Amino acid sequence: MGQRWSGQPSKETMRCSVWLSLSIVVVLCHCSYCKWLEVNDLEVRQEPTELGGPRIVVEYDIKDPNISEASPAYVFLRYSADAGDTWRLIPMESLRGSGFGIVAKPGQKKVIWWGTGQTSFADLSLVEVRVRAVQMARVPAGKFALKSLPGGGRDESGSIEPDPNLAPYYIAKYETTISMYADYLNEIGGEGAGWNRRMSNPERCGIIQHSNHTYSVKPGREDFPVTYVSWYDAVAFLQWCGLRLPTEAEWEKALRGGLHLDGDRVKKNPNPMPRRRYPWGDQDPNAGGLWRCNCDGDKDGFAYTAPVGSFSRFSSPYGVCDLAGNVGEWTLDWYSTSYHVGLDGFRMVRGGSWMAYPSACDAITGATRLPLKENSIMGFRGATGPIKSR
Amino acid sequence: MNLVNRREFMKRSVGLAAALTVLPHGAIRAANEKVIIGVMGLGGRGTYLAEKFAQRPDAEVAYLSDANTRRFARAREVVEEAQDRKPKLVQDFRRILDDGSVDVLINATPDHWHGLGTIMACQAEKDVFVEKPLSHNIWEGRKMVEAARKYKRVVQVGMQSRSAPYVKKAKDYIQSGKLGQVYLVRVYNMMQHPRQKPSPDQPVPQGFDYDMWCGPAPKPAYNPSRRWLNQWEYSCGPIAGDAVHQLDLARFLVNDIPYPKTVSHVGAVYGLRDGRETPDTQLALFEYERLTLMMEATLWTPYMKKTPMGVRESDKFPNWPFSSTKVELLGTEGFMYFGRHGGGWQAYDSSGELVRSEYGRQGDREHQDNFIDCVRTRKRPNADVEIGHYSVLPCHMANISYRLGNPKLEFDSQSESFTNSDRANKLIKRQYRKPWVVPENV
Repeated sequence: MGQRWSGQPSKETMRCSVWLSLSIVVVLCHCSYCKWLEVNDLEVRQEPTELGGPRIVVEYDIKDPNISEASPAYVFLRYSADAGDTWRLIPMESLRGSGFGIVAKPGQKKVIWWGTGQTSFADLSLVEVRVRAVQMARVPAGKFALKSLPGGGRDESGSIEPDPNLAPYYIAKYETTISMYADYLNEIGGEGAGWNRRMSNPERCGIIQHSNHTYSVKPGREDFPVTYVSWYDAVAFLQWCGLRLPTEAEWEKALRGGLHLDGDRVKKNPNPMPRRRYPWGDQDPNAGGLWRCNCDGDKDGFAYTAPVGSFSRFSSPYGVCDLAGNVGEWTLDWYSTSYHVGLDGFRMVRGGSWMAYPSACDAITGATRLPLKENSIMGFRGATGPIKSR
Repeated sequence: MNLVNRREFMKRSVGLAAALTVLPHGAIRAANEKVIIGVMGLGGRGTYLAEKFAQRPDAEVAYLSDANTRRFARAREVVEEAQDRKPKLVQDFRRILDDGSVDVLINATPDHWHGLGTIMACQAEKDVFVEKPLSHNIWEGRKMVEAARKYKRVVQVGMQSRSAPYVKKAKDYIQSGKLGQVYLVRVYNMMQHPRQKPSPDQPVPQGFDYDMWCGPAPKPAYNPSRRWLNQWEYSCGPIAGDAVHQLDLARFLVNDIPYPKTVSHVGAVYGLRDGRETPDTQLALFEYERLTLMMEATLWTPYMKKTPMGVRESDKFPNWPFSSTKVELLGTEGFMYFGRHGGGWQAYDSSGELVRSEYGRQGDREHQDNFIDCVRTRKRPNADVEIGHYSVLPCHMANISYRLGNPKLEFDSQSESFTNSDRANKLIKRQYRKPWVVPENV
């Protein structure tokens, strides 16, 4: 105990700390591109504590200059206690420090985790930790012009009225990419769960499964949005991250902006176009021969999907990219109609797609899909925050 | 057991007795040629059918059509994934009819477009797969039959349970007399529907030909919160939209009885008072020649469940007391539970002992097979247009009674009109909005 109080780790914990650091650096090199935000100089060590312990300290640099309060990173940590065979999300509630969840400033970050006590690691030398970060956009609390008729939120009966006064939330700036999804597949391993043969389509997706249930991305396809994901696939990926799907109302507000872009508490920045049809305004996606999103045909430069952020000049008031076109996006909402209630629970998809007519890439167009369905025009993005869409 | 009134049955120039008759005319595709299909209406059902027919090696979906261009992408995607050739996307379904290379129109529109869309397709010498309910009103249904016969078209109604093998086995069991004389058939359609949530009228979205969508029906201000399924001008209500499957099965099981003599009806909107026109509660008694058919339909019964997905494709039975889509057949010697959606059937003898069980599977694939086969051979399909007419007829009769305050109505099979109510006869045919008018002479 005297050694731990003095802050000097034992030989055993030092060996573990070094091993952890090395292994994580390798992991981060593997996934530090393609819309995971880049995380550098990661160091993981185990320290004794006064009251018990030891605790694990994770330090890393996240240098992206675009990180801000309006466009923060969402950082999550996953660990393996069996040398990488199986992985688990570290619950945010278990962590302390400045470097997890919503991270609003670039710089050196520190995360503290009393993981050994919580997880009862039998062999610390087998522990690995991975840190990943997603670029988000902050959507302040307040009312917005809800123009569509959302499906049903989390209320399957659809009997509760939609509420356009949303709590603050964060939504991913980009659609989930193929490389992010392949990273997920490689970590969850298993017997091919989350992957289907159609994902190997080189033009419409490009994730190749190998014989040992490892996955690779067709070179050049890393930044394209993942497709052929069912609603359940999307939810599983986001649970892996600690995120969730946005509700339809959240999706729509992210596109159109609130009545005040700085939220109803501040109200200093009124939205110039609170009822806009598209993220950029009311101009048609191809007005004046200028393409503002990836929709039907290849005149926009893309016959199929486009790399996420390809039309970032035409992002939403909060900087969210590709809400119009590219891939339709799964939402959390049910679709309740006379004949579907109690059967399978359709889910709503929003945002048009690379196959949709330009006018169908607007703020209100929604499509219904059975949650088990997947296709080449549907993907997803994550969100986090308290749900108040219904 | 022969429950059919043969005299009535044969009055029509081409009746059900000719169900296996080979149609003498029509373009017959060679066995190695694909049947070319256009799909009208790209909602959930239309998209499903487009995908299923595109997946067939003997068919090709050449056109996808919807008044709302927002629906194109989802249907196009599944079709392009299923077949090599890209379909043409058209907002006006008449472009499909203009194309002489197209053999078949799949009509998966809302109810108010079933009749005219099918008749126009017959006139253009297309065979038709039309979703249920066959018609929006009684008169229109008869015109659809006339058009199919006049132009010698194959018209299959999307009442796919008819093609499921377990249904035929049940019919054979009943025909063998194991239940004795069946005098009472109970049909259930007990659902849980959501309220519609009224909102103000809205501008018509870009890319949506709202005038075309309204077609033969009136064209009010655009308001998507006003569900078409709950409005008489566009829908035949929940019994025609859903219970018609069980009514059709019940008719099939008792030898396709064509006409009820009377309908007695009780109905109301009890729970879903949200501005809807169609009732949420309907109880109807239909007097046929030698049996009574009783129908119970509700939209506020959450404990009643459709056949679960895990039962539909497996050797299981629904939980019969809480099966929302069951049919009960009561004979002098036995009783039968019968389930829609591949729910199978179970028969009991006069002492209440279970004596026969038959698992089921859904009949979608068989129904589509049957249609394509009939397109090639010119045979009458399993759910021929005239069968569809007789199956939706009780729904129209019950709805008319409801709309008039639930009087008992008497029906004349020869004139297909009511004999005791002029007010009822005024609801046999709708007002058609020009130019989308079903002609008297199709």
